This record gives sequence, C-alpha cells and structure tokens, in this order.
Amino acid sequence: MTPAAVSFLPILLLFLLALGVGAAILVISGWVLPGLLKPNNPQKTKLTPYECGVPLRQDGARHRYSVKFYLVAMLFILFDVEAAFLLPWAVQFKTHLGTFWAMLSFVATLLVGYIYAWGKGALDWER
Amino acid sequence: MVIEQIEAQLPGAILDRHDFRGDTTIVVDGARLLEVVDCIFREGFQMLLDVTAVDLETRELRFDVVYHLLNLVSQDRLRIKVQVGEGVALPSLTSRFKSANWSEREVFDLFGIPFTDHPGLERLLMWPDFPGHPLRKDYPLDGGDPFCNQDIGASYAPLARSLNA
Amino acid sequence: MGAIDLDDAVLTTRLDAVINWGRKNSLWPMPFGTACCAIEFMSVMASRYDMSRFGAEAMRFSPRQSDMLMILGTITNKQAPVLRQIYAQMAEPKWVVAVGVCASSGGMYRTYATLQGADRVIPVDVYVPGCPPRPETMLYGVMELQKKISRESLSARKEHIERFYASMARQEELQEAKGLSSQQVVREMVVAAGEQGGQQIW
Repeated sequence: MTPAAVSFLPILLLFLLALGVGAAILVISGWVLPGLLKPNNPQKTKLTPYECGVPLRQDGARHRYSVKFYLVAMLFILFDVEAAFLLPWAVQFKTHLGTFWAMLSFVATLLVGYIYAWGKGALDWER
Repeated sequence: MVIEQIEAQLPGAILDRHDFRGDTTIVVDGARLLEVVDCIFREGFQMLLDVTAVDLETRELRFDVVYHLLNLVSQDRLRIKVQVGEGVALPSLTSRFKSANWSEREVFDLFGIPFTDHPGLERLLMWPDFPGHPLRKDYPLDGGDPFCNQDIGASYAPLARSLNA
Repeated sequence: MGAIDLDDAVLTTRLDAVINWGRKNSLWPMPFGTACCAIEFMSVMASRYDMSRFGAEAMRFSPRQSDMLMILGTITNKQAPVLRQIYAQMAEPKWVVAVGVCASSGGMYRTYATLQGADRVIPVDVYVPGCPPRPETMLYGVMELQKKISRESLSARKEHIERFYASMARQEELQEAKGLSSQQVVREMVVAAGEQGGQQIW
C-alpha cells in the first residue's frame, strides 16, 4: 500500500464501522426485538388471501392477460429512448447545423418503424 | 282515458278499478297480464317503476302483485294489481322492461311468488340458502331468533371487563 | 410470547408501558363502514374533529395493514361472515370498536335480517352508542380504547382471540359438513347460541 493510500485508512475504518452499526440496528430492530415482542399467532384463516371478506373467486392472481400490454410497453421504451436522444441535439442544433441531416436520418429510420407498427395494428387497443 | 283504450281493445281484461286522490288502480287477471301490459306500453306507459307484492293471508288468492307504471310523456301513473294464490307463477315482464329483472327477483325472494321466463330468478336480498320468505305474514319478524324473543336485555358490562382486563 | 425473562417485574412493567404507549398512539383504523356511522366517521377524520391527532390518520382499508377495526353501521346477517373473515385476517395486535347502536346491539332493527350486535360474532373492545354518535363521542370511544390498551400486559394471553379462531374453525367444519353457505351457518350458530341463553358464538 502506497504511503498516500495509507492516510485513507481511517476512512475505511469509519466506513466499516458505519456498515456494522447500520447492520446491527437493522438486525436488532428487525429480528431481535420483534422476535421477543411481537405477537405471533399464525392461523389458517388469517393466512388466506384477502378478497374483501368473501371466499376466493379464482385460484390465484396468476392468469393469462393480453399481449397488448407488452406491445405498448415495448413501443414506449423505443420512442422514449428516441426522445432522450433528441434532447441533446435540441440543445445545440442552432450552433451545429450539420447535425440536422444526421438527426433527420435517425428520426426517419424510427419513423419507418412507427409506420410499420401503426399499419400492423399494434396501436389499436381495442383489438 | 287509457283505461277506456284497454277496455276497447281487450274487453274483460280489467276486473276492477278504483281511484283515490288522483291514483288510478286497475285489477287484472294474471292470465291476461301480458296483453294488458303490451296495450299500456303502446299507449305510452313505457316505464315500469316497481314490482311489489302484498300478502293478505286470509284471502283465498293470497298475494296481490302490484306493478307501477309511468307515462313519461303525459306524466300519468298507473297501478296494476294482479291477485295470485300461493305457488302460482306470473309471467315475467323482463322481456319488456329491464327494471322488472331485479324487482321480480326481490318479490320472489321476499314473498315466494315465482315468475316464468325470468332470465335468472334467484334470491336478491337474502342469502341463497335462506329458509323461508321473510315478508309473508306468517314469517316471524325476528326470524325465530330466541335472543330477540326472550327479553334478555343482558348487560354488556361483564363481557366488556372480561376482554383482556 | 418469546424469551423475555418475566420474573424481572420492574422491567416487564416498563416494557409493557413503552409497548402499549407505542400501540395506543398509532392505532391505524380499518373502517368497516356499512351505513350512516361511516358518514359520521368521515367527519371525524376530517379537519374539525381530527382523529389523526390520536395517531389514527392512516386509514387502511385492508385488514392486514390496520390494527383497529371500526364497525361503522348496521351488520346484517348476510354480512356477518364477511365481518368475521375480515377480523380473522387482521394481524395481532388488534382491537374492535363497535360504533353506533346498530353495531353494538342491532340498534332499532330487531329483525330477521339484522345481526343483533356485532359482538355476537366478533369480540368487541369498545362500544360507542349513538345513532349516529357525535364525532366527539367517537373520539371519546377511541380514547377509552387507548386507556384499555395502556392497561394491557404483554405476557397475558388474549383469550378472546383464541376463542374467536376456534369459532372460525367450528364455522368451517359446519360449512363442510352441511354444505350450507357461510351466512346460513353463522345464522344457525347465532340462533343456537341464543337458544342456550348466551349471545356470542366465539
């Protein structure tokens, strides 16, 4: 260890101390004290899933749902990232006019994809 | 006025009629109920406000099923009563008025009067396996609960102290 | 209840006091609102009669996340098994406040359809009379519950909760055995308890 690094040892010590104290606090307040003080009374009825007091109408929450949710999420990510790329260009395009055509080709590529998605009905929620 | 129309088109359908302070009530035979209702519908009484029943236990035809209709254009109201006996079914008006659906379920639940051609005749207010029909005159008001009969009037004080005092 | 050494009386008392102080000042209500008392409860939670100064601001409409079940309104016989299930699904420590006369005793409805008091199917800690009770009365009821909580002891068994779960087990057995709906089974249990001169099925 170089002499320069040695002078940072106290910081390492402080860091480990902070970690230790934090872990101790968490363990004591999360495990030790509740283990001693909490009322623990697991009952079969208590552990049933909550459905406003009436018996369950279905076997669980995992059932099939439409793919349109996935499509919307995916399209959102794509166009959101495109918007994120447009932002730095928007900041400096007045001073760097040459970037206009590069950006236009970028947007045009994505536009082709958008027209395809539109034509295929991915934006049609009702279907 | 609509009564004259009914008399003209369906002679003999109306068994009785009476008025009271502007209300008009006609008593109709159960067998001709649908024809009368269709006639009235054509005359403009196109809103069924309520279907209910009355239990007169000593009469031979025990129940009076009462229909209230409203003419939205002229704001006239009409009451139709049908006398039925125990266990006799009436035709359902659900095909003509959507509001008859639950009203007839309520009458079936509380009086036990069945309706034919009803899309889903089951109990509405009481739970599905409730025994009996509560609004009949021979059904006890407290449902046979001995706690209500005996004037127990128990004080809650001893119970309150027993919970984790 | 864990491995606390209860022989050290001074320590237990102090621990009791601290725990009870924490519990009574953070009573999260679960409003089981069915009728007019729920409207009165809304005014209690609003700014003039503020119940959040008692720590009860966090209204949780889920039994898992609350510790005070407030029965606000008439409980019908059809609703009774629902009330039992909600109470069963609450995590301990839990308390019940029956607000209004309908929840306390059936109120003005002495009929086939109304449960004559929620305490016939659930253990109740505090009864707040009134039809509906004034907001100040409801606040007084919560304060009485706070006093009751401060008298609790950590080591004491909560017998009423054990009896309640035993009655839930009996209810399920009867449902299986007779094939009836939960409402009919609870109604039969209530009527049977009435025949034996008692009131509660738990």
